[in-house]
Amino acid sequence: MSNKLTYAQVNRDIMRPLFTPTMAWHGLMALALLGLAIGGVCWGIQLVWGLGVAGYHPPVFWGVYITTFVFWVGIGHAGTLISAILFLTRSRWRTGIYRAAEAMTIFAVMTAALFPAIHVGRAWQAYWLFPYPNQRQLWQNFKSPLMWDVFAVSTYFTVSTVFFFIGLVPDIAAVRDNTRGYTQKLYAAMALGWHGTDRQWRHYMAAYGFFAALATPLVLSVHSVVSWDFAMADTPGWHSTLFPPYFVAGAIFSGCAMVITLMLPLQRVFKLDAYIHIWHFEHLAKLCMFTGGILTYSYGCEYFIAWYSDNPYEWGTFVDRVVGKYWWVFGTMVLCNCTIPLLWWFKRVRTSFAGLFIVSIVINIGMWFERYNIIASSLAHSFDPAAWVYYTPTYIEMGILVGSFAWFFTWFLLFVKIMPSVAIAEIKETLRPPLKHDEEAAAK
Amino acid sequence: MSSSHAMGASGATVKAVYKHLDCLLQGIHDLQHAGLKDFTVLSPIPRHEIDEMLYKGEPSPVRWFTLAGGILGGTMIFSLASLTHANWPMIIPGGKPLVSIPPFLVVTFEGTILWASMFTLTGLLKFCGLPAMNLHPAMKDPRFTNDCFGIVFERSGNRLDEIVHILESSGATEVTHG
Repeated sequence: MSNKLTYAQVNRDIMRPLFTPTMAWHGLMALALLGLAIGGVCWGIQLVWGLGVAGYHPPVFWGVYITTFVFWVGIGHAGTLISAILFLTRSRWRTGIYRAAEAMTIFAVMTAALFPAIHVGRAWQAYWLFPYPNQRQLWQNFKSPLMWDVFAVSTYFTVSTVFFFIGLVPDIAAVRDNTRGYTQKLYAAMALGWHGTDRQWRHYMAAYGFFAALATPLVLSVHSVVSWDFAMADTPGWHSTLFPPYFVAGAIFSGCAMVITLMLPLQRVFKLDAYIHIWHFEHLAKLCMFTGGILTYSYGCEYFIAWYSDNPYEWGTFVDRVVGKYWWVFGTMVLCNCTIPLLWWFKRVRTSFAGLFIVSIVINIGMWFERYNIIASSLAHSFDPAAWVYYTPTYIEMGILVGSFAWFFTWFLLFVKIMPSVAIAEIKETLRPPLKHDEEAAAK
Repeated sequence: MSSSHAMGASGATVKAVYKHLDCLLQGIHDLQHAGLKDFTVLSPIPRHEIDEMLYKGEPSPVRWFTLAGGILGGTMIFSLASLTHANWPMIIPGGKPLVSIPPFLVVTFEGTILWASMFTLTGLLKFCGLPAMNLHPAMKDPRFTNDCFGIVFERSGNRLDEIVHILESSGATEVTHG
């Protein structure tokens, strides 16, 4: 962070992009709303006609919806990783990017949370997922990984949202003090009367540390629990103790890539170069390289375990993924997750706008296909050869997938216009405070 | 000098605005040295020096809320899972126990984190006094969320002149009372 920056300059720079939408913002918003309309229409058709409009084909009843659910939960990992784990380890490079990354987490989990409701078909009965005694006095099964998943995702969403909002309060107060009229009243209500008193800062900093400490195990546990949705079943290709670390590494890999995809344009369009540098992105790219390495190793390990187990069903599924009808899914996954990201080992690529942006998008494509590869190919090639099928998504499923991206981007676009997308107070903390002593020394 | 607030029975309100952190710390030091304690320090950022001078390293009691929430949440969710299964004894293949610790630990962990977080939030709001809608108007200065620090005495008692003198001599760029 430049030491020439002053506290007042930080306030001005970070609040400048607020409220006044540019043409580019309107264009992106129009695109997002169009995607949202496509997704909405497709879901509406499914609600009217039922799950028959999805491409489910017995025994494949988990397809694009569960794939997309896992994808978005995974994307939601990077934000809390950056805001909580890097806070506890005192990594200074988190400061410029953590706010937008946290927002991304919240919106990604909000997107993921739609999919259980979409997937069950009768969305109006999705509340059955929660623990309450229903009409037949039948309670939920707490030994089911699906039940654990409800708890894990809803806890993660709640804690991340509180952590995000608490982090925002001092900055909302700064926005309040720079606005007038009804806008000021709105921000005043959200700032909860924050004015930066010694008492407020004292308890705030203590609580923030606790939130970070509480959110840290959640980052590592949520995708472990999601992986148990698969690993606890005896389906070939799923039943593996490797899944939790493999899923967590994949989630951090895709989440950091998504942060790069979102924040590169944000830095350019809002002219935040003084706060978000290329070395922020380089750090994220290195995190991707590390987790991508774990992922590639896990892919290899899976094959070794399948072969070494001497289980014909397990090995058969893994061979089918490479040479069967899903070869193109497997190929896309390996190309996008294991091969193309290797370009980031070249400093020139991981420090260039195009190199970062393109590879980050490729990673996210690859990570969607990874989940598709795990889910669809395993179910389509299970124990009984007579039940082997080839599941392909319908246009309804793909429309809802498009809608999910649009839903995510709509929230993100709204966020960057109404909230400071870089943490004002924390940026100031990284600067040398204004000292009389410095001014006197400079005058001499 | 301005007279923005009416003088009460227990003295005038005094507000000092500082542009520099070292002057603010000097001001706090001088006030404490003179035996004055009943003031509020305002800052756009958290500074451990301020915390150390005012609270002498005493940890925030928010931590007890976190601990209580964690214990309560974990116990409640484990009990919910156990009582649910005891109330609806499903036939478990392989003779596995009805109340089984390993699978219930997953939801117990989630409940611990969730409740610890909610209690931390409650503690934060309680001890910070949020929502703080009745803060003294002298503290509601937009400069304190921008680039200035401040010291506010809601009531100066009978030591107004002394307080004003200390604040001015410590390097405050503006001292108002009234």
